[in-house]
Amino acid sequence: MNSMLQNGNGHKENGNEKSNGNTSLIELREVGKTYHTPAGRFDALKGVSLEIKAGEFVSIIGKSGSGKTTLINLITGIDGPTEGEIFIGDTPVHKLNEGQMAAWRGLNIGIVFQFFQLLPTLTVLENVMLPMGLCNLYTRAERYDRALHLLELVDLAEQADKLPNKLSGGQQQRAAIARAMANDPPIIATDEPTGNLDSRSAEAVMELFEDLVARGKTILMVTHDGDLAKRAKRTIALADGVIIN
Amino acid sequence: MALHTRWSKIFKDMWGYRTRSLLVILSIAIGVAAVGMINNAGRIIQRDLYGTFAAGNPAVLEIYVSPFQKDLAKAVQGMREIDFAQARRVESASVLGGNGKWEDIGLNVLPDFNAVQVNRFNLQSGVSTPGTRQMLLERQSADKLGLKVGDEVTIEMADERRYTLTVTGIVHDVYVMPFSLLGEATGYISMDTLEWLGEAPYFNRLDIVVSENKFDKEHVLAVGNLARDRVIEPSGYKVFRVGIPGIGSDPGEHWAQSQIKGFLLILQIMGILAIFLSGGLVINTVSAILAQQIKQIGIMRSVGAVRHQISGMYLVNVLVFSALGLLIAVPLGLLGSWGLVSLAANFLNFDVGPIDLSLKVLLLQLALGLLMPVGVVLIPVFAGTRISVYNAIYQYGLGGEKEGGWIEELLSKFRNLSPPVMLSLRNTFRKKARLAFTIVTLTLAGAMFIAVFSTRASLTRQINEIGRYIAYDAALSIPGGANKRTVEREALRIPGVNLAEGWANAVAVIERTDGSESGEVELVGLPGDSATIDPLLLDGTWLQAGQPQQVVVNDDLLDEEADIRVGSEIMLKVGESKRTYEVVGVLSKHLSGPRIYMDYNAFGKLTGRQNQVDVVRVLANPGAPGSSAQQELIAKQLEERFQNAKLSTSAASTRNTFFEKFTDVFDIILIVLLIMAVLLAIVGGLGLTGTMGMNVLERTREIGVLRAVGASNLAVRLVVVVEGVAVALISWALGAFLSGPSGRALAGAVINAVLKADLSYKYSVSGLFIWLGIVVLIGVVSSLAPAQNAARLRVREVLDYE
Repeated sequence: MNSMLQNGNGHKENGNEKSNGNTSLIELREVGKTYHTPAGRFDALKGVSLEIKAGEFVSIIGKSGSGKTTLINLITGIDGPTEGEIFIGDTPVHKLNEGQMAAWRGLNIGIVFQFFQLLPTLTVLENVMLPMGLCNLYTRAERYDRALHLLELVDLAEQADKLPNKLSGGQQQRAAIARAMANDPPIIATDEPTGNLDSRSAEAVMELFEDLVARGKTILMVTHDGDLAKRAKRTIALADGVIIN
Repeated sequence: MALHTRWSKIFKDMWGYRTRSLLVILSIAIGVAAVGMINNAGRIIQRDLYGTFAAGNPAVLEIYVSPFQKDLAKAVQGMREIDFAQARRVESASVLGGNGKWEDIGLNVLPDFNAVQVNRFNLQSGVSTPGTRQMLLERQSADKLGLKVGDEVTIEMADERRYTLTVTGIVHDVYVMPFSLLGEATGYISMDTLEWLGEAPYFNRLDIVVSENKFDKEHVLAVGNLARDRVIEPSGYKVFRVGIPGIGSDPGEHWAQSQIKGFLLILQIMGILAIFLSGGLVINTVSAILAQQIKQIGIMRSVGAVRHQISGMYLVNVLVFSALGLLIAVPLGLLGSWGLVSLAANFLNFDVGPIDLSLKVLLLQLALGLLMPVGVVLIPVFAGTRISVYNAIYQYGLGGEKEGGWIEELLSKFRNLSPPVMLSLRNTFRKKARLAFTIVTLTLAGAMFIAVFSTRASLTRQINEIGRYIAYDAALSIPGGANKRTVEREALRIPGVNLAEGWANAVAVIERTDGSESGEVELVGLPGDSATIDPLLLDGTWLQAGQPQQVVVNDDLLDEEADIRVGSEIMLKVGESKRTYEVVGVLSKHLSGPRIYMDYNAFGKLTGRQNQVDVVRVLANPGAPGSSAQQELIAKQLEERFQNAKLSTSAASTRNTFFEKFTDVFDIILIVLLIMAVLLAIVGGLGLTGTMGMNVLERTREIGVLRAVGASNLAVRLVVVVEGVAVALISWALGAFLSGPSGRALAGAVINAVLKADLSYKYSVSGLFIWLGIVVLIGVVSSLAPAQNAARLRVREVLDYE
């Protein structure tokens, strides 16, 4: 596995070959996000600038309401910035519309959610195969083999034909990690990946992340747990929408 | 080969939510089946009834002539404008049925049974040519009389002499009205047999087929008049009547064609309504599926799915529903068409060929079944799959709904209701678009249901209005007429009869100011103060005493003579006699065709038939017709007395028999309409079931919270059921509002189709409240399963629910 970005044709770009001259994989420039709610205006992020290099294991830490989920949502394209720019490789993701973002994201970012978000009517294997089919990667036979291989990596090969509701929380989260790796994206983004797990499962998940980093993946992990955050190579602390470290 | 994962998801979702899938499939199936049933039935009736009718060379004209021989037919056929002219004699008699009851029978005599050219009938059993002292019977007559080939049958002629004939053949004749409708059997004998029965050997009717423009009423009648003026009357014969066969039919049409057409049109409209409601149900359910799977849509987008991939998934989902719905709809529609056609065949006396499905009907069903569901969900699918990943995962179900509007404000004013009831009521209005779709389906079903009941009420009122013109206990026709005083005296001798009126009939024409003549109009001479008629005046007044120059016309006449109104002077011509009269009143239509009423004495002066009457009408209690039993008794006594007095051998008719005949016809129509309305109600109920199921699924967390704070199983169930009943009641109120215009439209269409009359509308309040009971039941039943599902949810499960 490598950390090269993929464009819509499945061709990989070297994250270092950027027209802006920077070697960062992820770059945020004065990014802000404002929400307008019935309670009034809320600035979730204010003027955030940061760079993340390929292969880094970065934890994003902060209290509830600090803006860490907003930050990772902006990086993954789930949400869009109110101001500023976001580059992932050469791609100005802040300029992509929803459709373009979805297609790009399927190839370049694997997301692991706090509540796993596996599709309930698909087996574990089918959940892992799903992104490959959506992005038209690999042949059908290859998808099957690859999905099984990914499940072996997360120690879930024997649960491949089970529905998600038959698995424990830890198993479901590992399945979600396998799904996130389905299209071999260079970046894995995860928001509170162990928030719903017992300590043993949480440890297994962290070990997986460390293994992925060793294989060259760039991992962004949002957490409120300081101990977990320390296991990342680098920590970005947020408070009240700004980076404080 | 394994399916792509996303298609695998669709099939698994369908199977996982089997009940919901079944609801959608059934709703598509019902609508498409209804359309298939009606279209296929119409096609089969066209093929089998109209096809048989057309194949037998139907007469487009009947000319009633004074006694003639078959040479006249040959002479008329020699006209360039006429292809065929067939002589016929129709003689009235009575026949003793197998049940020992005497029935009227029309005996048809044809010149040559081996060469019937017009109105050809088909042999069913026996021989096609009756010999002397032999008779053929129409099959429905044979069935009702309990007679078969080889049986001996007793016939009584007008002179009361009885004869025994042998039934040698059973035929199927689509050109005569069935016994069940006409109340008269149909038989066929030779001229030799007629002579043997003591009747003079002559023909009295010409059945005509014109050479060109067979279906042009004006042309056909003009040819008839030409035949009268050029051949028949110059040959020394008298023409009594030139007319199109059937009741208000057009030439070349089966006598029931326009009624069938009207009825099928009504069913077609209801079928389209069912399709419309099915479409609403599909929209509702697919919107609910999308709502339920919003998060999954977000996840799929987060792993790379683009919009067209997701839209495609759900459209394929709907296509699969459609295909499965069609698998049910096509055979169901075929079965339904078999039922409908069989009903019609039994009633109208025709043979049904193979019940097959035409390519045209199949294509129609395929188009509706495939295109309609996909077409109606395009917007919800495209709108529902537009949602951003962020909103799908983070905002859905978290107060993202708009703030409450005027409905929520109104509900907040009801402070005395218990919280669970309040919860139900607020929940009812939470998803306004879904509520609207559900209510539309139930409302339309309710409006149609009540409309059917209003149609029945209107028909009953219509028949009662018609009944005002036959306000007697019994009536007896006197062929050839008889002395008025004698007739009334004989009638009054019947025990229990306190009123007897003799009426006279004739045929007249109106001579217009430009010298042209109208078509034939029935002229009725009656006592001006008649107690056996309670006319419904649309304009003007009834005949006034001492005013012999007054006439009253009916609305049918005004359809044909638009210049006539109250105050008009018209010249009536009977034979060579002409007189001018003043129109003083216009009566409602009453199934008689164009008719003019005049004082009996004035009638006598015009027609030259003073003191002659053609029908006697009797009443036991003037102003109050008796019960069916009383009327039957009076009728029987009337028949016997007049036979004994050698005045008439006709069968008497009673007022109640008239009502029964119409009620039988209308009940069949109403049953079919009611079945359609019930189908609509089922679709509406399916819609509500689906909606309630979705509502429960979406509020799983809320239900968990209810359970966590102490709600019992019953309380949880009640929250759901009350919501279902609330939706049902709202739809009832809206349906009640719509049922006025829909009832009027349906009743008008049915009455026009069947009676060719204008509507006398009556709203059915009983129908309104019967529907209230039904719709509340639908509300409860539709909510029971979702309520049970809600009660089964465990707190831990639902609070973990994502």
